[in-house]
Amino acid sequence: MKPRKSVTAVLALLLIAVICALVGPETLFRMNIAYAKNNNVSDEQLLARAINGEARGEPYEGQVAVGAVILNRVKDPNFPNTIAGVIYQPGAFTAVSDGQINEPIDPGSTVVKAARDVLNGWDPTDGCIYYWNPATATSSWIWSRKIVTKIGKHNFGV
Amino acid sequence: MGEKRRLSDKKVYAIVVLAIAAISAWGIYQFRHAADLRQELDSQYNRAFYEMVGYVNNVETLLAKSMVSTTTDRTAITLQEAWKQADLAQTNLGQLPVSQPVLASTSKFLNQVGDLSLALDNQNIKGKPLSDEQYGMVEKLYKYSSSLSEKLRELQDDLNAGRLRWGELASKGTRLFSKTKPGEMMKKFETVGDNFKDYPTLIYDGPFSDHMSTAEARGLTGDKISVEKAKEKVREFLGKDRVQEVKDSGKSDNGPIKTYSFQVKLKDMPEDQMINIAVTQKGGHIEWMLSNRPAGESKLDMDKAKKAGTKFLKEKGYENMKDTYYIKQDNTATINYAYTQDDVTIYPDLIKLKIALDTGEITGMEAKTYLSNHTKRDIPEPKISMEEARKKINGKMEVLSSGLAIIPTNYKKEIFCYEFKGKLNDKDFLVYINAETGEEEDILMIIDTPNGVLTM
Repeated sequence: MKPRKSVTAVLALLLIAVICALVGPETLFRMNIAYAKNNNVSDEQLLARAINGEARGEPYEGQVAVGAVILNRVKDPNFPNTIAGVIYQPGAFTAVSDGQINEPIDPGSTVVKAARDVLNGWDPTDGCIYYWNPATATSSWIWSRKIVTKIGKHNFGV
Repeated sequence: MGEKRRLSDKKVYAIVVLAIAAISAWGIYQFRHAADLRQELDSQYNRAFYEMVGYVNNVETLLAKSMVSTTTDRTAITLQEAWKQADLAQTNLGQLPVSQPVLASTSKFLNQVGDLSLALDNQNIKGKPLSDEQYGMVEKLYKYSSSLSEKLRELQDDLNAGRLRWGELASKGTRLFSKTKPGEMMKKFETVGDNFKDYPTLIYDGPFSDHMSTAEARGLTGDKISVEKAKEKVREFLGKDRVQEVKDSGKSDNGPIKTYSFQVKLKDMPEDQMINIAVTQKGGHIEWMLSNRPAGESKLDMDKAKKAGTKFLKEKGYENMKDTYYIKQDNTATINYAYTQDDVTIYPDLIKLKIALDTGEITGMEAKTYLSNHTKRDIPEPKISMEEARKKINGKMEVLSSGLAIIPTNYKKEIFCYEFKGKLNDKDFLVYINAETGEEEDILMIIDTPNGVLTM
């Protein structure tokens, strides 16, 4: 046995452990938060953060479209009836599952403008209630949906 | 020098043992912590589930009672409670960690039970008993609520006996620790959904009624046009001399308003800016338009902005549009314009414009509601006079103005009303009195702030 090598290995393991310890509880904490309902967050802020988590890199129309899907779900009998209910429906949005929805946003950012346009009635999706990224979608079920339109990287469907 | 300093074997082993002990301790802590959180989550799911089962049972009982009751006020009270219980059941359903498609039919059922109960409750409050058709609907829904209760009780038994757990669905990557096979819960919920296989189409006065999604667009006049023609319409709409490029970005055949959509670049437009626009396949109307140009410092006041909007609408062929409510955000005003016919404000025929307050440019238009509803209406003579209607409103309210209006409901029916704007306790209100029956149909509170006039 070469003690030096083992020591290096152990130290490396410890380093990894420390990194995990720093990252691990944070993700769990976020998961816990994500399922809690917060009525103090206004619809506009919540919608903007959902758009930010789901469609940050998308063109403006794509951001409005993602927000519109959330609002269309609120109006649809097959889904919960509030914006918070729809966004936090377990498993509905990856941005909620991985905590990206909790990223703070700049009040002047485009996602806030997109959220406002959505709440004021603009809907580029024509009533769609689903969207998915064809490059990364893992659910085979989602492909059984009828595609209505494509905006940016997402397919929008009913 | 040259002689390497080495740790003795003993010391190395001590370090290794200590490190392993530390990692184990940390690991055990993490595992326990994760287990605690998972347990907490499980408890939340259990609470939501058990509450839902309770509410569904109550719905079943209440619907049964409403069918027995012979007086409208007793039926009203029962149905009101059914509405509340169904709503609570639906809220809890949405918190379960089961994928939405599996829950969809149950969700729709609970929404319609609540919605229909409320609609019938409103009718009973006015002293009008259930019609045979409505009685039939309640009877059907009662049967479905009974079988739903039954299925949920089976599931509850499985949960109680520990045969099923939520964890497998709720947390990814923990299959190692789950006691049941993955997908078991999903299968159970699928059988709950099967309960609604032959679920009927229900039409009634509520927002979740089945007629809502299929309603025809009345304002969609004209013949079907080609993509090329639609492109031409876009150029005309935005100004031929301003448009640099119109790019086809697909078409949508969903719902009553089918459209072509385009991406437009104007001359001298920065790289990151664009206008998106949708033109109806029938008639070539603009359904909506949206530019992402950020507005600079405000130079226009609201009066000028409103006038710019009215002028724009007139140019595009929308005559007799009256501005109603508006909101100012990011140096942009979003103004609602309602159609007027013979001095009657027709609120369902609504167009929204976004006006950039730096240059007065129209940066957005939303005409879907207008296209869905607009038509030439036969407006009858009011059956009751303005004075009679005025007597119906709260005497404490100081009336500032009055007029006639047609107001929308959330179930696509329109009501012909007197509109009274008034003040009470320093708050502004709009009160709507039915021009035919004298009933108080709606009350809106006006929120008047420097950033806009809105209603609640």
